[in-house]
Amino acid sequence: MKKKFWRCFVCNDVHWGFKPPEICPTCKVAHAYVEISAKEAKACLGPLPEPGFTKADFRRAIEVFAAPNQFKVNPDTERVDLLLEGMFSNEQNHGLRYCPCRLRSKDFEEDLKIVCPCNFLIHETYQGLEKGECWCGLFIKR
Amino acid sequence: MSKHIMFHGRECPHCRAMMPLVDRLIAEGFAIEKLEVWHDEKNADLMRSYRPVIAAKCGGQLRVPTFLNPETSDAVCGEIPYEKLKEWASS
Repeated sequence: MKKKFWRCFVCNDVHWGFKPPEICPTCKVAHAYVEISAKEAKACLGPLPEPGFTKADFRRAIEVFAAPNQFKVNPDTERVDLLLEGMFSNEQNHGLRYCPCRLRSKDFEEDLKIVCPCNFLIHETYQGLEKGECWCGLFIKR
Repeated sequence: MSKHIMFHGRECPHCRAMMPLVDRLIAEGFAIEKLEVWHDEKNADLMRSYRPVIAAKCGGQLRVPTFLNPETSDAVCGEIPYEKLKEWASS
């Protein structure tokens, strides 16, 4: 199965996935999504803001991401700063915020698995451990 | 004594933590070549060429730091206590 683009016919939100959301998360209208082309999806998104996401933006985003979950951002700020340095360097040099503690394989689909945050819940460094953490230690169990 | 490779990332905290241990082993006479992989594509390609060996020992992925013995195709990855790394490098 391949992911497709979907557009809400009410508010023009764009979704990329196997299925459209049953309820639009933005306008709350049910059954509002129609399949569209990648070209239309790109056009709907419009010009992307420059200069983009800063380290402070990303730091804030992962704090918000972690808040309702059973993990938190590592309180070791020196470690987090180093990791963010690596991720943003990787984004600049290689296109995405790849984990600095792994290496991309050059297979795009495979490499999406190491974009931060990755799905570390399934990693042996996290799953089933009392003091689990993601491979790089950016996220740790509460 | 076999020649070993340490694949590492400049901004990887695990790699940073292992550096003093690796330097200590080098000072003791172990042949360990340190190759940075996120800022040197040649080193990255070399690490990728060992993917079957490394991934089998490192959760199915290319992780750093990875310590590789190219002669025996043996690898270990992550933060490892000094004695354990020395034992691995000696074998």
